[in-house]
Amino acid sequence: MSHIEIGQTGKALCRRVFDEMMSKSDAVYGILISTVDGNEVVHSFKSELSSEKLSAMLGSMLALGENIAAEAQQNNCQFVIVENGDGYILTLRLKEKLVLSVIASNEANLGILHSLSRNGAEKLASKLK
Amino acid sequence: MAQLKFIITGSPGAGKTTAITAISETPPVRTDEATTDSLASSKSETTVAMDFGELTLEGGEKVFLYGTPGQRRFEFMWKIIAQGGLGLIVLVDCTREDPLADMEMYLENFSDFIGETSVVIGVTRSDAPGAPSLDDFYNRLQDSDRLFPILDVDPREADDVSLLINALISSLEYTTT
Repeated sequence: MSHIEIGQTGKALCRRVFDEMMSKSDAVYGILISTVDGNEVVHSFKSELSSEKLSAMLGSMLALGENIAAEAQQNNCQFVIVENGDGYILTLRLKEKLVLSVIASNEANLGILHSLSRNGAEKLASKLK
Repeated sequence: MAQLKFIITGSPGAGKTTAITAISETPPVRTDEATTDSLASSKSETTVAMDFGELTLEGGEKVFLYGTPGQRRFEFMWKIIAQGGLGLIVLVDCTREDPLADMEMYLENFSDFIGETSVVIGVTRSDAPGAPSLDDFYNRLQDSDRLFPILDVDPREADDVSLLINALISSLEYTTT
């Protein structure tokens, strides 16, 4: 259980941003905010997914992605992307201690996913204290 | 040149990252992130994916040490990291509520791996008030007819970590002869 508590108002605010993001691409069927150490904060899924498991896995993935980037002497990791036969999973850091993940089907345009994830993260970061 | 992959697991805060940092010949890979849950009162950062370090034994063999995250929600990483491993070190922190149960939990979760390889248990912070003695750990193992090496270690000390690695290698040699 995360000690990062954004409250019901904060969760409602996040879900409104999630709805906006999903309205920009029908291919997006899951958006999740978790903590960097793998605890769930808030999610909106159109299908049945385990937010607890995904939160832990996405925390590990972002940490590994950022470390791999640093090992390869590349800075400012923007996204960690998993591209699959069935779709995409984009993960990026949201403020200091949060992770934003966007899950989409293979009908998504990766460029659009980039921009809606980045814009969504900026909007969420400006609203979350 | 032989290469040995060993895994270090154990409860959060037991000293897994510290042990790898203490003995690695190269700057260790660490995936520490801010702790945001109940652990935050005792630990500001926690491993969320893996630690990695390497060292060279006197005979020239390379040892690759992989540290797992401690929390159970990262169990999927335990399985990934254990692939191809030759032995396991379980660190048990005696300041926790029930160190004997912690030991049991990690031995149970890695039971398939241990069945094919070998395991050594490192007891840390054994001077904590009310901490179980090494005999208590041995007795708990013997209750289920198991016998593994158990060592009292300080994971900050390279010599202590080296002791665990040597015990693991000896244990492996014993089980393969």
